[in-house]
Amino acid sequence: MATDFWASSHFKRWIVDRATLNQARSEDLLYVDDPEYLEYLGIFFANVITKLGKKLQFRQRTIATATVFFRRFYLKNSYCETDPFIVIAACCYLAAKAEESPVHIKVVVSESRTLFSHTYGVKTFSSSDNSKLAEMEFYLVDDLECDLIVFHPYRTLLALCKKAPGEDNSSEEGEAEDEEVGVGIDDGPRYWGTGQGRLELTPAALQTAWSIINDTYRSNLCLLYPPHLIAVAAIYLTFILHPPIQPEHIEQPNIPQPRRSSRQASHGTAAAQAQAQSSQPKKPQDPISFLADLNLSLPLIATISQEIISLYTLWDNYKEDTSPDATKLARELTNSPSPTKASGSGGRASTGTTPAAASDDMTDAEGNFITPSFLTSVLIKMREVRFLEHARATGRPIAINKRLERAQAVG
Amino acid sequence: MLDERSAKALQQDPMQIYRNKWNQNHRSVSSKYDILGFISSGTYGRVYKAQSLETPTNLYAIKKFKPDKEGEVVTYTGLSQSAIREIALNREIDHENVVALKEVILEDKSIFMVFEYAEHDFLQIIHHHLQTVRTSISMSVLKSLIYQLLNGLVYLHSCHILHRDLKPANILITSDGVVKIGDLGLARLIYEPLQPLYAGDKVVVTIWYRAPELLLGAKHYTTAVDCWAVGCVMAELLSLRPIFKGEEAKLDSKKTMPFQRDQLLKIFEVLGTPDDWPGVVTMPEYYNMSRLDHFPDQLTQWCIQRVRKDALADVNDLLAKLFTYDPESRLTAKDALHHHWFQSGTKPTKNAFQTAPQKDLPPLRKVSQDDAPSMIPLLPNASHQGSRGGGGVPYVTGASGQSYSKPLSSVSFASLSGGGSYEGRQMDGSSKKKKAKLG
Repeated sequence: MATDFWASSHFKRWIVDRATLNQARSEDLLYVDDPEYLEYLGIFFANVITKLGKKLQFRQRTIATATVFFRRFYLKNSYCETDPFIVIAACCYLAAKAEESPVHIKVVVSESRTLFSHTYGVKTFSSSDNSKLAEMEFYLVDDLECDLIVFHPYRTLLALCKKAPGEDNSSEEGEAEDEEVGVGIDDGPRYWGTGQGRLELTPAALQTAWSIINDTYRSNLCLLYPPHLIAVAAIYLTFILHPPIQPEHIEQPNIPQPRRSSRQASHGTAAAQAQAQSSQPKKPQDPISFLADLNLSLPLIATISQEIISLYTLWDNYKEDTSPDATKLARELTNSPSPTKASGSGGRASTGTTPAAASDDMTDAEGNFITPSFLTSVLIKMREVRFLEHARATGRPIAINKRLERAQAVG
Repeated sequence: MLDERSAKALQQDPMQIYRNKWNQNHRSVSSKYDILGFISSGTYGRVYKAQSLETPTNLYAIKKFKPDKEGEVVTYTGLSQSAIREIALNREIDHENVVALKEVILEDKSIFMVFEYAEHDFLQIIHHHLQTVRTSISMSVLKSLIYQLLNGLVYLHSCHILHRDLKPANILITSDGVVKIGDLGLARLIYEPLQPLYAGDKVVVTIWYRAPELLLGAKHYTTAVDCWAVGCVMAELLSLRPIFKGEEAKLDSKKTMPFQRDQLLKIFEVLGTPDDWPGVVTMPEYYNMSRLDHFPDQLTQWCIQRVRKDALADVNDLLAKLFTYDPESRLTAKDALHHHWFQSGTKPTKNAFQTAPQKDLPPLRKVSQDDAPSMIPLLPNASHQGSRGGGGVPYVTGASGQSYSKPLSSVSFASLSGGGSYEGRQMDGSSKKKKAKLG
């Protein structure tokens, strides 16, 4: 399980095909004007989960698990028949436990209430509504069929790649969880690839790959493909943004990160440059053959990469204050894969830091972005219409006391 | 769009449509299982024996987690970390020597975990030999039991799962003599943990089976803690008594972790004071430990008094390796499985009872009827059942006067078997035992 994806519930029960995905949205399609809105809702909800996760100080893996729970839940249910905001809170609450870093229910309720009402004007949780969240968790576990252990591409990324040596700035690592806490961890032999060890990436490239993986959770990729393939696709796309260094590029100062070069400057610029130069040529690794030697289906990797790029294209029309980097990544991947631009910020989609250049790119562009408030109104409308139809179909205004009904049903 | 009343209703109960559908599709426990009786209870809830309504020959043990708080009105309070663990891990694993989870039913604000049924457990075997048979467990049965236990543990460890509560009551045996490791309520994945293991559960493993590194306050620990517990279990099967039966020091008022002086002394009295454990000096409780009296290693004498000559050398060697103080050099479950003992003399059998005489077979697990009705409605009497300080499982027996103490953590630990209650076991006798014997 922890080691064997092929024996996991994730592989056996939760990798689905496109037809299943379409089927899952069929009810929602009846209530939405433009099918594409549903795609945007997927981005929107994933962003909400990320925001809530950040507020709860989750590690990236916990956020990813919460997002997978959310998407699995909506394989079986419809947006219009549920309150996705309650589901989001429950997914976060449950994911924290599943990832062995639990958060008290009170904290989840209060952070959710603040975030939902302040940012989106959604009043899902009124006061200290613990039982409301706990009830949702209960249903959630049931719909997840109790399969709570989720595999993520991050592990593959860190198994396949490592930071180039000589650049020890763990502070910039951010979310990269390559420090394995606890002992007794047996990585096991690697039975794929060249056996010659991990591919060296610059810290910026590794961060880009990490960020691309973060971004894939805005789509249904985590339901369609095994995580290791998503990781390899992310590495592949990283090579587009951070091309392997060619000899003529060595002299260009824009490859290393600004922050690092300034730090090195304090040690003496000449020494730093000498160090940089001496470290560059000793990399004999060829990323292309590394990928080829992984013995994975490269057409499949290409397909996944294409889908990631499609996600970025879609995301380009979505505007939220904290997604400029994604937009930037999208620009680079879809239009101009220029390494000079790419190396600048490393595309940290979910950090919320906004490079000025990226903001300039997109402000006041066309003005017809899809925004959270628009999507919230779409969602409310869907749910209201569905609710009215339900009330009409059941032939009575609205059942008042569901609790009583349930008790009778159970008893 | 909506009139005011509808809008209010949608606002008040936004999940109404969902809930209706859920109720329609839900298949209740009582629609699938017939509850035969009550087996045991603990801090986690209660365990019942049940049979499938579809296939009445299929027996199950249904573990009902009680809702967190039991006031007059039971409300949803969130699923416990322990329940989440047990569910999540059980959904992934599949091994002959680990109790299989058939399904989980969520209903009535409670979780019902439906496990395959196991007629016996190690504790029951021990008690049976201590009180009824009055001889030690035969070496061939013992060898098979330990072999299968190790086999299951190798699997769990290969899945990066620490059990963290191995003890006789948690190791079950089917009527066909197949060992099943049970109760993953304290188990957890140790693959790439986001937090140190210590952060989640301050105390793990029932005190008598707790490894020295845990007793000395180690913040990090490994699969080796389970291997120590296997050593303890094996020794207990040999002598029918816990080998290190210490008194647990309880949390003081300031909630600081106490030094487990008595338990360490019990260990040192048999194994001697650690002298071959380089890391011991880094243990948080090293200072306290170094002030204890000095003891010589007596394990060989312990074995000589309890093990017949033909198996003595192997048993002594295996125990000594499982009781290695240094967790890094302690025998792993995998290496233990390849120990010479299992290759010499009688080989382990798939049915552990294959060679056992009729009288050695333990009685059927006792179930009581009077508690069974509480399965369907909420449990009115659950709160006073079994949540006593001793750890809930009421397996204090009159004869031995043993009472196990539980880990201090709030997490439930008691087993599926829980040991049940032992009174009257002899009566319901060995009618169904022939199968096991012939098998």
